[in-house]
Amino acid sequence: MIAALGLIVGVVLGLLLQPTVPNWLDPYLPIAVVAALDAVFGALRAFLDGIFDDKVFVVSFVSNVLIAALIVYLGDKLGVGGQLSTGVIVVLGIRIFSNVAAIRRHLFHA
Amino acid sequence: MSDVPAQVPPDEDHDVPSGNVPGTHDGVRGARPPLQSDGASRRSQQPFVGLLEHVAATSLDEDYAHVAQLRAASGERAQERADGSRPGRPGLTALVALAVFGVLVATAGLQTRRDADQSARSRESLIKQADAGKAELGRRRDEAASLSRQIRTEQTRALAETARGQSEQAKLDRLGLAAGAVRTTGPGIAVRVDDARDATSGTQQVQAPDLQKLVNALWLIGAEAISINDYRVTSLTAIRDAAGAVTVNYRSLTRPYVVRAVGDPDTMAARLIDTSGYQTLLTLESSFGLRLDIERKDSMVLPAATLTLRHARAAPATGADK
Repeated sequence: MIAALGLIVGVVLGLLLQPTVPNWLDPYLPIAVVAALDAVFGALRAFLDGIFDDKVFVVSFVSNVLIAALIVYLGDKLGVGGQLSTGVIVVLGIRIFSNVAAIRRHLFHA
Repeated sequence: MSDVPAQVPPDEDHDVPSGNVPGTHDGVRGARPPLQSDGASRRSQQPFVGLLEHVAATSLDEDYAHVAQLRAASGERAQERADGSRPGRPGLTALVALAVFGVLVATAGLQTRRDADQSARSRESLIKQADAGKAELGRRRDEAASLSRQIRTEQTRALAETARGQSEQAKLDRLGLAAGAVRTTGPGIAVRVDDARDATSGTQQVQAPDLQKLVNALWLIGAEAISINDYRVTSLTAIRDAAGAVTVNYRSLTRPYVVRAVGDPDTMAARLIDTSGYQTLLTLESSFGLRLDIERKDSMVLPAATLTLRHARAAPATGADK
């Protein structure tokens, strides 16, 4: 309940405030969103497993976002930004998929 | 997936892709029932084969299991925490984090839409600029052509007024003809060269050296002006192969190649056949099927070449030149 509430509040806030992203942050936003998505799905799975923990979620959320952005930043500086982004997306995508699969098994008992 | 007690942790030590024997750790872990997910249970039995499998197997952050295990060990599970949140349920911090996530998603979405608008706009403006540039270029070209025509008529008129001018004009005509700087009309021959029918290999196609030989042979028999497919051949012309096409003055031609030469139409054809260059072409015709055809023309118009003269200039004397 509280989680859905937080999500809705966040989306509404974002849509209302329409914060402008500074140009230097622009390339890292999409990858940060994917990393955050991974943390959120991980949290949902942990919640369904009954082992959710606030602190772990927040730490994994923040560190996921920061590390993903940092990797892409480093990649940009080294001239392999595109490839590193792809790598990060692949790893996060696999994690999201397997987490969603576990969530699905929880919800549908299938 | 079966419902298994929540406090069971996936064992983080098993991430290491090496032969790791389960159950050799401390007693607390060894005593626990099997792990809850199929991925996790597989993990405890065999080392990881590949990176992707590893990523899939460790998709849930192990910290969750770790903290749950610590909590279970300290018997905190049923108690309320100091900050009022219950373990296993999201609390205020999770709400804040999720709100941040929502803002991130909304911002990213809005940003992408804005960027799309912007890139569409910039593309449109680029297309507009290119069109305007092209139109401007065409206009300038027409202007340059009309101006040079004007210069020529003015020049002819000015020169025609004096005797010296007339002789200069005659000289100019002769030189312009030889240099290819002026449009030229006259009788002559047209040699049509084409690839073999259904040509499959490069040897069955007309290549730049073939055209070079033909042009040189035509110069040899006294052609006054030569053009290939409406490109005037001058002493500065390069006939080359580039990317499978013959280029003249760095412009690609398409087959068939028609080489026109102004000269005496009665004797040129016969003399051309005697040249060694044309003999080579005849050999190519008989052995590879290239198609050759010489035609007598009573009147042809050869276009003027666009000439850019590059010539050396004396450098201004400076103090360093001693």
